[in-house]
Amino acid sequence: MNIKHSILLRVRIAFLVAVLFVFAVIYRLVDIQMVEGDHWRQLAEESSLDYRTIKATRGSIYASGNDLLATSLPFYRLAFDPSLVDNKTFTSNIDSLSHLLSKYFRDHSSDYYKKKISEARQMKSRYLILNRELVNYQGRQEMLTWPIFRLGQMRGGVIFEKIDDRHRPFKKLAQRTIGRVNGDGKGVVGIEASFNDYLSGKNGEGLFQRVAGGNWKPVYASTDVRPVDGYDIHTTIDINLQDVAQNALLRALSTYQANYGAVVLMEVKTGEIKAISNLEKLESGNYAETYNFAIGTTNDPGSTFKLATMLALLESGKVELTDSVDTGDGTIEFFDGKLKLTDVKRGGYGKITVQDVFEKSSNVGIAKLVTEHFGDNPKEFVDLIKETGLGQPLGFQLLGEGEPYIKDPSDPSWSGSSLPWMSVGYETGLTPLQTLAFYNAVANDGKMIQPIIVKSINRANKPVEVFKPKVLNKKIASDETLQKLRLMLEGVVERGTAQNIKNEHYKIAGKTGTAQRLVNGRYMTQSYYASFAGYFPAEDPLYSCIVIIDNPRGWNRYGGDVSAPVFKEIADMIYAQNLDIHDSFAPQYTAANNGTFPVIRAGRLEELNELCNQLGISNYADEQASDWVRSSVNNNVVIWKKNHDNTGLVPNVEGMTLRDAVYILENIGLKVLASGSGRVKRQSVGAGVRATKGATIELELG
Amino acid sequence: MNKIKEWADKNIQGDPVIWLVVICLSVFGILVVYSATGSLAYRAGVNTEKFLIRHTIMVGLSLFVMWVAHKIDYRYYAKLTHFALLLSVPLLLYAWQWGSQVNGANRWIVLPFVGLQFQPSDLAKLALIAALATMLAKRQQKIDDFKESLIPMLAWCGGICALIAMTNISTAVMLFATCMLLLFIGRVPVKYLAMLLVVGAFAGFVAMKVGQRGETAMNRVRSFLNPTEVPYQAQVANMAIATGGILGNGPGESIQRNFLPEAYSDFAYAIIIEEYGLVGGVMVLFLYLVLLYRGMRVVANSDRAFGGLLSAGLTFAIVIQALVNIGVVVGLGPVTGQTLPLISMGGTSLLFTGLSLGIILSVSRGEQEDFSAISGDMKNKLRTA
Repeated sequence: MNIKHSILLRVRIAFLVAVLFVFAVIYRLVDIQMVEGDHWRQLAEESSLDYRTIKATRGSIYASGNDLLATSLPFYRLAFDPSLVDNKTFTSNIDSLSHLLSKYFRDHSSDYYKKKISEARQMKSRYLILNRELVNYQGRQEMLTWPIFRLGQMRGGVIFEKIDDRHRPFKKLAQRTIGRVNGDGKGVVGIEASFNDYLSGKNGEGLFQRVAGGNWKPVYASTDVRPVDGYDIHTTIDINLQDVAQNALLRALSTYQANYGAVVLMEVKTGEIKAISNLEKLESGNYAETYNFAIGTTNDPGSTFKLATMLALLESGKVELTDSVDTGDGTIEFFDGKLKLTDVKRGGYGKITVQDVFEKSSNVGIAKLVTEHFGDNPKEFVDLIKETGLGQPLGFQLLGEGEPYIKDPSDPSWSGSSLPWMSVGYETGLTPLQTLAFYNAVANDGKMIQPIIVKSINRANKPVEVFKPKVLNKKIASDETLQKLRLMLEGVVERGTAQNIKNEHYKIAGKTGTAQRLVNGRYMTQSYYASFAGYFPAEDPLYSCIVIIDNPRGWNRYGGDVSAPVFKEIADMIYAQNLDIHDSFAPQYTAANNGTFPVIRAGRLEELNELCNQLGISNYADEQASDWVRSSVNNNVVIWKKNHDNTGLVPNVEGMTLRDAVYILENIGLKVLASGSGRVKRQSVGAGVRATKGATIELELG
Repeated sequence: MNKIKEWADKNIQGDPVIWLVVICLSVFGILVVYSATGSLAYRAGVNTEKFLIRHTIMVGLSLFVMWVAHKIDYRYYAKLTHFALLLSVPLLLYAWQWGSQVNGANRWIVLPFVGLQFQPSDLAKLALIAALATMLAKRQQKIDDFKESLIPMLAWCGGICALIAMTNISTAVMLFATCMLLLFIGRVPVKYLAMLLVVGAFAGFVAMKVGQRGETAMNRVRSFLNPTEVPYQAQVANMAIATGGILGNGPGESIQRNFLPEAYSDFAYAIIIEEYGLVGGVMVLFLYLVLLYRGMRVVANSDRAFGGLLSAGLTFAIVIQALVNIGVVVGLGPVTGQTLPLISMGGTSLLFTGLSLGIILSVSRGEQEDFSAISGDMKNKLRTA
């Protein structure tokens, strides 16, 4: 046979083998389609496979000092398939199960649960949500030990549906600023919304197969799209200061039954917001964080705007602090008496200096000054103010900043009264935060910086993006003007409208504001927007702060009366905590109120009583004596008098043993620093002062 | 019309049926790849046309390579084969030790500057088959001489297959089988082939132990032999085949592509059945058989043993791979990871397929006049008819 034919023959044999294989393939195809077809089609029909979202874990929000403000935790919704358990188990256990449910959720009686479950069982229902309130992991573990539930999902019918819920350890603290996440896991307000893109991460998708019991099991990894977890947000909020600010504001709002209020505390040098609280009165009369007024609501600022007016007057060089202004009888009329500005003091202040005009907040004085100096050219006045940056949006990190508005002479609504009315803070719209940024600039030697609330965005403790304070205006005015402005701001507290918050420990500088509220386009004469903006300590400002309270009711409704005390309460707290501010002051030791009984001065009634009885010293407690008593001596008898109640005020611990003093003081949250030995001779925080948690009290023993 | 025909006559030569089959399969491939990758791309968040565009470009390039290759007289390839074979050895070694890893195997070398990845095994496969054809053709007169004729061929087959087996056992086994077939066609006595089989089995055993993929191969074979446990991919493939029916669900209507891993390559055939039905599936099989048949025709028409053996070897290599892939999909063999030539998505391996087909076409054109001068000496030696 020749070679070519031999080769061809072999090729043909191979070709035949290939053809045979193809027939085998076709046979298999038909086999799968026809013979096994139903099986596979049914499998496909059941579509036991599906792509399911693999949720990315949302990032957490932290306060400064790594306190958690918001984080995602797994919770469970408790559901039940009442049809699974057999009759015997059901009847013998339903009572105790209902009892445990009632005891756990504390919302319905055990009869309620029993009825609900029994009815569902009769209806042959296979799914019943027992309670809408979510259960945490510990709760779930506990429930798995209950009768029926302990049989598990397959036999007992208990169903725990996992739901990732946003957990805020500090509950209502800065609630609106931290924000909220909706059912889809998307932030809707506050930091949750503004930084949603960072926090949310990216959901993945994976192929899952349904297994018995309705659960899904991941099948194949290579087609999965992995989820990317969200970043963590680190804020500048200080939990302790936030607590103080929110409580002080709440107390003031409750006292004055005001509509709403806001307070913002900011660090002067960095622009970091340490506390921000907004509270609004609900229908129920309670207050809650419903809206971020400090950031979103523009309002006529009222007299706090006079600082800007003064800045314009001083910068123009037309006015000296010592110039005198005749404020007359406290009224000034425009348009032949159709419009009238009045001062608070009836009968007016008469002839006073420019500095007095500011400190006493004379509307007449301010209006006269601006009319005199800028009446011909109101644009100069407006421009001087706008050049500082006031009236420009701050570009704040949170969404929804209110658009500021400073009227311009070119505005069609500009009228002859616009200049004087603007000068005292009307026909203008500023948010509290914008006003605060301006005050902060005055405190910060003229450097206006952008307030920030988010310091950094982290991935696993490593910063991915860091926000540095951004300078909005390097110098809003000359040093000379700034120095005068600060002098007058101090004067407001020293001699002016905010004398009530003057104290001897440290100086506050600030300005009160009481604007009439604009309701339906008309200014209401008896309805106010009371505010106080300022900074402290006045000499070397560390913090600036603004307090606004909308529509306070009652007798004293001016900014100085309503808002300034809130400011002071926050300032006091910082003062108490911040030893750096204290350095220039000597510790405030109180003098001992020496009784004549030398050995036992103060302690626990029960113990002292027994001690004296043992030693045969006659003693008795007076009617008001409480647990903790102080001794007084009458002839040879020791009388136990009440030392202090559990009011949260710092008690007098003089004469106590260190053991007792530490017990009492640490119970109210103070840190004790003791020196010497013996009984307490002196204490650095006087009795009767409100105890600030975490503050240090020094004790001298001897 | 005439102009087109004129142009085609001048520029496109060789067996027109092979051209037609290749173009049909390529177009089919583009449709299947688009269907199978659309949802993957969508889920990964990239442009749904991304893979389609990439695959179409590669198909275009491979057709170009094929065209260039078919313009070259096939006798040139005889000279290149030895060089290509020598080159593939260090490349295979490099890929095994330092290559980049995809799905647990270092099969890839990244080409500098272009950034394209290619598998040295693709090159080695082509080179080995061509070299074997050359050597067989040279030794046709004394094919029974074991020492002189067979030792070098067997050494090359064993060596290259063993190197490939280090990273890719199924490709090595397939190549080995193709080589055996080619040796059979090249009239090597069956007793020597049986001997080679023993040697190959031993080499395969060593590769299992030394190489990277021994365990994977063992698992796949084990799960194939276990009738109760159908692997996940096979389950989904069966669902796709069963739901396809006679006429299929229509182009782009596959559901199982979402659940079928590698639906665009290893399991493309299942998607073809699901979308185009039994009719589409048989059609594809038919096209491969036509390709094989035309390859066989080339053998019959070729003047020289070299051309015939080259064409036979390359055609069988392509069709065997196709049949192995399809066999896996329908459950006739263990999962291998072999792609469906001309249809599956797969970067540079498409170019090597194009090159193979180009060489087959070149052989089908027959000898070119101007070549005889260059290799007149060879002509005398190789003439067999």
